[in-house]
Amino acid sequence: MTNPLDQNSENKGGNRIEGGIDAVVIGAGADGLAASAYLGKAGLRTVLVGAGPELGGRIAAREIAPGVTGIDGEHLITVLDPDVISELDLYRYGVEFAARRLDTTYFFENGGVLRFDGDLTQAALLNLDDDSDREALEAFMGDVLETAAFLRPAFHGGGYKGPGGDKQRALEKAVGQAPPEMAARIQRYLYATAEDILRARFEDSQLRTLLLAETSFRSAAAPHEPFSFMSLLRRYAGEAAGLQGAAAYAKGGAVSVIDALRRAAQGAKVDMRAAAPVKSILIEGDRVAGVVMDDGGQLRAPIVLAAIDARKVFQDMIGPGVIDIGLQRILTARRPEIASARMQIILKGVAQDEATRKNMMRRLVYAPSPEALSKAFMDARAGRVPERVIVEAVFPTALDEGAALDKRQVMSVMAHPLPFDEAPDADRREAIRSAILDSIEMFAAGFSGRVEVEDLRLTSDDAAAAGAHVAAYAAKPDVLQQWALAAAVTGGPRISGFYFCGPEAQIGAGLSCAAGRAAAKAALRAYKKGAA
Amino acid sequence: MIFPAEDFFTDAPRPTPLFAAVAAESEANLWTTINGWTAARVYSSVSSEYETAKSGAALADLGPLARYAVRGAEAGEFLGRLTTAPAVNLNVGESARGLMLNDAGFVIDLAEVSRLSEDLFLLTLPAPHARHIALASRGMTVEANDISADVAALGVFGPQTAGVLSAAGLKSVNETTAASGVLRGVETAARPIQFGVMPGVELIFPKEEALTIWERIIRRGAGAPIGLDAFEILRLEAGAPRPGLDFTPAGRAGASPRTPEELGLAHLAPLDRGWFNGRRALREMAGKPRRRLRAFAIDAEEASPGAAVFCDGKPQGRITSCAWSPARKRVIALADMDAASAGNAYEISAPDASSARLPAARLETVESALAKAFADEQGYTQGLATDFRR
Repeated sequence: MTNPLDQNSENKGGNRIEGGIDAVVIGAGADGLAASAYLGKAGLRTVLVGAGPELGGRIAAREIAPGVTGIDGEHLITVLDPDVISELDLYRYGVEFAARRLDTTYFFENGGVLRFDGDLTQAALLNLDDDSDREALEAFMGDVLETAAFLRPAFHGGGYKGPGGDKQRALEKAVGQAPPEMAARIQRYLYATAEDILRARFEDSQLRTLLLAETSFRSAAAPHEPFSFMSLLRRYAGEAAGLQGAAAYAKGGAVSVIDALRRAAQGAKVDMRAAAPVKSILIEGDRVAGVVMDDGGQLRAPIVLAAIDARKVFQDMIGPGVIDIGLQRILTARRPEIASARMQIILKGVAQDEATRKNMMRRLVYAPSPEALSKAFMDARAGRVPERVIVEAVFPTALDEGAALDKRQVMSVMAHPLPFDEAPDADRREAIRSAILDSIEMFAAGFSGRVEVEDLRLTSDDAAAAGAHVAAYAAKPDVLQQWALAAAVTGGPRISGFYFCGPEAQIGAGLSCAAGRAAAKAALRAYKKGAA
Repeated sequence: MIFPAEDFFTDAPRPTPLFAAVAAESEANLWTTINGWTAARVYSSVSSEYETAKSGAALADLGPLARYAVRGAEAGEFLGRLTTAPAVNLNVGESARGLMLNDAGFVIDLAEVSRLSEDLFLLTLPAPHARHIALASRGMTVEANDISADVAALGVFGPQTAGVLSAAGLKSVNETTAASGVLRGVETAARPIQFGVMPGVELIFPKEEALTIWERIIRRGAGAPIGLDAFEILRLEAGAPRPGLDFTPAGRAGASPRTPEELGLAHLAPLDRGWFNGRRALREMAGKPRRRLRAFAIDAEEASPGAAVFCDGKPQGRITSCAWSPARKRVIALADMDAASAGNAYEISAPDASSARLPAARLETVESALAKAFADEQGYTQGLATDFRR
């Protein structure tokens, strides 16, 4: 017979109010893990709640075929905040790079091939025919890397007020204090189109083509549009394993960074709870008071940090009755038009020749011509799948274990630009699959015949896995729009004790954790002042 | 409710539903445009219309104002979010004034909210804000319909308002309670309005019935129409700022946005009220106004907007609107002043080209008295007394 007084003992969360918590972090993705680790490390009793059955968010390992594991989300590290690595001691917690700076081989429509050194400062060593182009490239890379490094603080996540104010003010201040030559360069780079800048710098069409592809990759800003060049600066402001602008491969894939972040959070005594979806965020007056869980239980805390998509946070968890109308307008103002797609391909047979094996240890990029790229953006905006897309491919299995293997290899591909689709049907998936394979065929003839299994992952799949609004995973707009959005979602709500570090707070694509760090630092500043 | 500034660049103003009726009464035939609608500036003479409002009952075509019927289970919450009016707390029949603020806490417009039934509210605004309203309603169970073009709106105010309404057979309508219903076959809504110390009633009815109601009142010989110029004097006597004239609504091109406190309307956006759009930003700015809209009485027969206001000999602001007040026998004005300005001797630059200055004094108006009472209450225990219902 059940003792009525014991009824609650079986109810693990429902209607239970849990206190004594300093901070609740919603979302167990990279930014949520990083933020919770910062808070826990500072001595705050922190609870991390994730909706999914596993911690890690959209970057997760998944069996893509019997016995073969693929990594969803990111396959390379390009913009991981170096401060997060050092401050959270991620190397100690298991981050290890199999390749710190991958060389890139670019393939062009006309059959041409160029190889870029993984260290961009060495890019000028390329064997170009024209001396003037070699010098122009050296000068260009010097300018771009210097400018990108100067702008790096503006690309870090969040618009939190702190030393230096919000991002826009910080940028204005930085530009105002910059040497005249740098200030003029920033002004030019800020407003110009990528096409205009590159056309003015290079005669060589292949150089222009590859740099346009790098600029446009994973951005919704087409290279002929104003502000588009900033996308390249954002990309080259990032670091991988301490080398600016490089692309690195973490041993075991990007999921190993997630694992390290999880261990760092564990080390900081963060109470991590998977399969714990949050229903709403408690606001009392103008202060946050905790969260209400799906099962009706409450976690009361003076700090709530949200590391999931903004629409879910502000419209569903906080509610339109308590958020400012302008913020709601920003969140719903424009429907995304451009997206990227991931495809993981299990290849038949093994690499036989030396050239192929070398390429398997590199980053491969297919760069459509500028005309084809512009058309691809126009097609994607119109909802059509482009004929040719930029393809970035790496071989995780080769990078992890070496290319000279007698076993199957997995090729991980990211393709861009593609039309944004909230609920793609089978035809749309097939069209995207064909476009990606056709683009790969452009530099690897007969490739389709080597495909044993392919696993296509679209934005909607990532969003479904993370329980997020699809728009959160669309390609990001130009950097200026991203700054505005990041400032709105991080600074706009003005709810005391509430901090946001979801995807909208991040500038640019890739695994960064800078937004999580910025939010946690802002929360800690307020906590120390007693304002949180 | 205050009319916004006239728009001088409308090519083809639309006639209000009452236009045919009021045009027949217009001797001066002097018209202007507000929100794209025709509006009479003067019917007979400014002084006689002013006197009618003071001693009789004035009839005003309120058609140029924007009106929204707001329905739904969350209509109160929606209006509480959109405006600073305490919509959720209104009982059926009650009305409240408020402001529309942007996210940064700056004033977009004035607002009046009346609760006609449990889930039906009437929102009246000086200017249309369809897009802002549509955005604010997202995610809420509410429907806001712009009824401005579908209804006629007749304002009746002055000491003899009750008599006029009674003569017209509208006995159930009074100056304190909003109501809706059918009066002699005409669907009507009525809500109290106020111009300074003058209470009044706004009748809202289907535009097809505009002439019916108008004739019913005019034939009894009760009341006379009042134009915008006479309205302007009453507004200034009440100390109520006029959007587009005394301040530029936030979001308009070239706006130098103003907070409620800067407009002397802090009592319409108390921070102890439930959440409204811009409140959190407003809290951060509370007590730190940069400018002040102040009322002055000027010892002169004439003054002009734009004239400099001197405080202890130093220029501290400019007149934004002014008019001769027959009641005060002075020019009364609102002026946008530096918030830090304080002194005993105020002067206004003369409207002619001379360097002469006209003596002026601070003027207490209904609005400034409310603001002062509100400011005095701040920090005391009577936080709820800020709910200005009618």
